[in-house]
Amino acid sequence: MKSYLVIPEIYAETALNLLLKRAKKPKVHTIEDYLKDGGYQALEKALNMEPTEIIDWVDKSQLRGRGGAGFPTGRKWKFAVQNPAPRYLICNADESEPGTFKDRILMERDPHLLIEGMIISSYAIGAHQAFVYIRGEYPIAYHILRSAIEEAKERGFLGKNILGSGFDLDIYVARGAGAYICGEESALIESLEGKRGFPRIKPPFPVQYGLFGRPTVVNNVETLCNIPLIVGMGWEEYRYIGPSDYSGPKLFPVSGKVKKPGVYELPMNTTLREVIFKYAGGTLGNKKVKAVFSGALDCFSAEELDTPMDYSPFGFGGTGTVIVLTEEDDIVQACLWVAEFYAHESCGQCTPCRVGTHEQAYLLEKILHHHAEERDWEGFDFVNSHIQPTSICGLGAVAGRLIRQSMQKFPEDWERYKRV
Amino acid sequence: MTMLPEELLKKLQGHAEYFPRKEQAILLCLHEVQDHYGHLPEFALKEVAKILDLPLNHIEDVVSFYDMFDRGLPARHRVRVCVSVVCNLMKSQRVLTALKELLGISIGEVTKDGKFKLVGVQCIGACSEAPCFMVDEDLYKFESKEKLNEILSRYT
Repeated sequence: MKSYLVIPEIYAETALNLLLKRAKKPKVHTIEDYLKDGGYQALEKALNMEPTEIIDWVDKSQLRGRGGAGFPTGRKWKFAVQNPAPRYLICNADESEPGTFKDRILMERDPHLLIEGMIISSYAIGAHQAFVYIRGEYPIAYHILRSAIEEAKERGFLGKNILGSGFDLDIYVARGAGAYICGEESALIESLEGKRGFPRIKPPFPVQYGLFGRPTVVNNVETLCNIPLIVGMGWEEYRYIGPSDYSGPKLFPVSGKVKKPGVYELPMNTTLREVIFKYAGGTLGNKKVKAVFSGALDCFSAEELDTPMDYSPFGFGGTGTVIVLTEEDDIVQACLWVAEFYAHESCGQCTPCRVGTHEQAYLLEKILHHHAEERDWEGFDFVNSHIQPTSICGLGAVAGRLIRQSMQKFPEDWERYKRV
Repeated sequence: MTMLPEELLKKLQGHAEYFPRKEQAILLCLHEVQDHYGHLPEFALKEVAKILDLPLNHIEDVVSFYDMFDRGLPARHRVRVCVSVVCNLMKSQRVLTALKELLGISIGEVTKDGKFKLVGVQCIGACSEAPCFMVDEDLYKFESKEKLNEILSRYT
């Protein structure tokens, strides 16, 4: 057995048995496994439908992008098909947000679910070339997808005239090389063109001007894995999964101070409290929850544990990443790690973000070591208010968000570091 | 005349033909070169430029942007330790301390025999296994210094 077939034994559990139907087991599912389980039947069904009908179904299913922004997938596709062919589909597998490890288990354990989703999506938007962009730190997922694509080609699910439908598609797998910013769709496109991953100024959006200047749909791995489900069961049935406004299964990677860290597939009417206590087994040592970070984006306090895990304005949102901090953890220290993450990952294109993220980390370090003076605290607000409006992409826009939220929600913790 | 070994050259040419456009293969080629030499030597970058029909300055431009590419001293294996939020919460400092004791290197350094280079990474996407680290393509959860030593001894 080749060494790359050893995949990480990340714990996975599902209450719905849809996305993780196979991937809950730490095993690479081959095309035989997938076909035995009813795989590629949704593709056959889709190829007998009109592309516009599939887009309509996805729109009606209310599927939202699972990569963090939660943009309605059907609407994105509708925008793309308004623009002339050739069009491209890109699967964003550059999952790099701290605490996020949901896409990797889909790719490593059930690669054909993603491939089937990509074929149906490409057919719907009229793309004949599709790309998967996998982050450099997931070499195993890269090897697995490359060989899974070969398997699919041999069986006639990819290549010319797929299943006699006259539809052609090739899927290419590209690797990143350690740049978080390449998860931003326009930076990803630049990188896929063989350049530095600098985000583009929007508009034009990728659905208008994407890869090689052509209309391009960029969807997350988990989003694309939902497509065979929607086509397979029909949008009406799909709408019954979870709450009425936020239908479909969602993966929640849970990590930090919990007893059973792992990936959980749950409906979106689950609350944050249920995720931590009912599914992830509660906190280590039964300590009190201090805070929950949703990746490096938002900070929730213990009073907000009844937040629903959906995309509503007061919902948990984002990628669904749950990082649990308990009373033992120092929130200011954790914020410094977040600041260091942004300082490290700022691509450097916009000066305020390139300089400001480092400045922010430096000021937090000063605060943490009790060296900060009054003007440093003011400096923090100053830096923060300048990165946000002057950045091309979302990274700069959110670089200080979690830290600012934590200052508002945990004033006493920060107060302790003020010099008297 | 190329200075690259036949086998590597074939792989690079394979990558160059894989995508719809040649220049898209730049990251795959650079990964391949780095896996072969343990870093990115200048002469190999020139060869990649030739294979992909790109100016050398474009290759340098790309190399300097991406974190995983290394123009420093060569190392046969790369130990990537996650130093991001979750691993830090779960005390990833223990991994760095153990590595310092076992190999005598800190982040960014290469062992004297050129066997290991220690790299700090912002999240390697296995947070349930925190604190975790990678050696080349393999992922491990840190358990103890003894276990770490045993893992490292598997790499020659």
